[in-house]
Amino acid sequence: MKILVTAKRVVDYNVNIRVLADQSGVDLNNVKMSVNPFDEIAIEEAVRLKEAGKAEEVIVVSVGVSQCQEQLRTALALGADRGILVETDEALQPLGIAKALKAVIDKEAPGLIITGKQAIDGDNSQTGQMLAALAGLAQATFASEIDLGEDSATVTREIDGGLETITVKLPAIVTTDLRLNEPRYASLPNIMKAKKKPIDIFTPADLGVDVSPRVKTLKVEPPAERAAGIKVESVEVLVDKLRNEAKVIS
Amino acid sequence: MLPDQVLSQLKAIVGPQHVLLESEDLQRFGVDRTTLWQANPCAVVLPSAVTMVQKIIRLANDCNLAVVPSGGRTGLSGGAVASDGELIIALDRINTVIDFNAIDRAVTVGAGMITADLQAFAAKHDLLYPVDFAAAGSSQIGGNIATNAGGINVIRYGMTRDWVIGLKVVTGAGDILDLNQGLLKNNTGYDFRHLFIGSEGTLGLICEATLQLTRPQADTTVMVLGIETFAAIVEVLEVFKTKIELTAFEFFSQAALDKVIKRQGHSAPFATQAPFYALIEFETRTQVTSVALALFEQCAAQGWVLDGVVSQSLAQTRALWRLREDISETLWHWQPYKNDISVRVSKMSDFLAEVDQLVAARYPDFEIVWYGHIGDGNLHLNILKPEDLPQTEFFERCGIVSLEIGELLARYGGSISAEHGVGLLKKSLLPYSRSPVEIALMRSIKKTFDPKSILNPGKVFDALV
Repeated sequence: MKILVTAKRVVDYNVNIRVLADQSGVDLNNVKMSVNPFDEIAIEEAVRLKEAGKAEEVIVVSVGVSQCQEQLRTALALGADRGILVETDEALQPLGIAKALKAVIDKEAPGLIITGKQAIDGDNSQTGQMLAALAGLAQATFASEIDLGEDSATVTREIDGGLETITVKLPAIVTTDLRLNEPRYASLPNIMKAKKKPIDIFTPADLGVDVSPRVKTLKVEPPAERAAGIKVESVEVLVDKLRNEAKVIS
Repeated sequence: MLPDQVLSQLKAIVGPQHVLLESEDLQRFGVDRTTLWQANPCAVVLPSAVTMVQKIIRLANDCNLAVVPSGGRTGLSGGAVASDGELIIALDRINTVIDFNAIDRAVTVGAGMITADLQAFAAKHDLLYPVDFAAAGSSQIGGNIATNAGGINVIRYGMTRDWVIGLKVVTGAGDILDLNQGLLKNNTGYDFRHLFIGSEGTLGLICEATLQLTRPQADTTVMVLGIETFAAIVEVLEVFKTKIELTAFEFFSQAALDKVIKRQGHSAPFATQAPFYALIEFETRTQVTSVALALFEQCAAQGWVLDGVVSQSLAQTRALWRLREDISETLWHWQPYKNDISVRVSKMSDFLAEVDQLVAARYPDFEIVWYGHIGDGNLHLNILKPEDLPQTEFFERCGIVSLEIGELLARYGGSISAEHGVGLLKKSLLPYSRSPVEIALMRSIKKTFDPKSILNPGKVFDALV
């Protein structure tokens, strides 16, 4: 079985995001870019399935600018076998990405597709679901456990207030939640080997898809700054402030 | 016990609520991170101004009261221990930013400011205070300066000394000195500032400091390599140091890694077991990273390196650092005897072979944990206390071997205390690193600044009589 996984290039989780002065977006100049952490979990899961003998090949896909090859190389170092870049400078939104991924699925016919449940840049949590709809495949979102069978997968999902276990027919789309696994580090010997692994590059036009944005961003604002904390002199003052200013006790 | 009259004068100087006499406070302020000495100060005073410090010092001179300056008490050599009825002056209340100038990239702060707060202040102004170490969340700037703290960025940024451009101190005689005033160039005779840096509270109380800030470091990439032998670590260091500007080159042994993973719940960098690990850090640039990869291949081809990983995100950079930074705290569980030694990097290879042999022969029944800032020539040799051995007996045995390590260091021209200072713990070893003439000069310098020898008596060298 082939497994298809995604590796979105996003601003690193630990970077302090700065909003551009004209409110058109966030400042990406000289900012550390990394693989979307939820996609890292997807890659790890696919590699583990391959190591367990349940898959023959892991293909990693990224949609975006040319530099996405860095993220593909990381995924290849982590154990993916080959990469596909759908290269575009468009401002990407979930629908556009889902369309590109659908085209790759049509080419590769994977038995399982694993993506992050969301990307930490837009926090949309839509791509996996849209992809399932476009491709007409089953979906198991927010997975914390995947048990891969011959024709079906049993997936434990993290839902409000507990866990839900479902079985989906393969091929299926699974999106990963945090507890699915803990991704490994990229080992240096594997980074060396990954340099020789192939990356195929297509444009959206090659694949016959239109990834242009459908949603217009009006403005981007940073969260309101929180007021600094204060020290109080006594318990009485604290209680008074909690009751009359914060109004959290009565 | 403090005479009532002295106590009331102290209360008059700082205010009654800022003289602490409760046993809990005396315990807390009376010791540092060493566990060998019992706290027994007579009182703790918390002045809020330099003039108050001056009054306290003058009072101490008048009534021959020994004084121990106290910072964050994260020291590892007993330099801040008050076990003999001394008065503790803690500068916790002199802890604010007094002046900041973006053109000079200089900040003047109260000596009681927590290191991490200074780092945060610098970051807020898009600048960096680059001295950093595991205790930065509790240590204070005054203590950092008094011990010339080092830490994890020394290979790139140097020690605390390199960042101090001005000091306001109250000498043991009670004089207020305003030293160097933040100047970058100032050739006007003896630079007293540098005498106070690393003086461990024996010459004066550092009350305010002006520190140089610098541009923030770019994002960094961390490699952790599994290494076969001590000698190979030095080979790897040389290979990397000649080709890349490193921001850190740290090492630790398998025992250190095992303990950190087990007690802190971190995950191992890779499955391959290696006797030693090197943590190499550099600023993230595509070109540099590819050079680093090539160097890794070169080291692997030589058989020096068994395996390795490289961080792919800032989260991984931090997670890999934890493997090194959490060692010190993890080891407290075993009440370790800590040797903090250094030699010139060029002599490291031969020195390591000898010290390794010595330690293996002398401590056959003790567990040895190695780690340190090997890029600076600085090794932390930790000997763990067996559970059933009483602490005094354990330290006695370790002390004897330390003398042998001292002799070895003297032969290599090394230091018996690379960055922890001398305090009480390393006093007996001082002659291995400093000549009798030097120690005599230190004593006379102390006499000049602290004629009645009231300041931190018995630290660095025995009290003057």
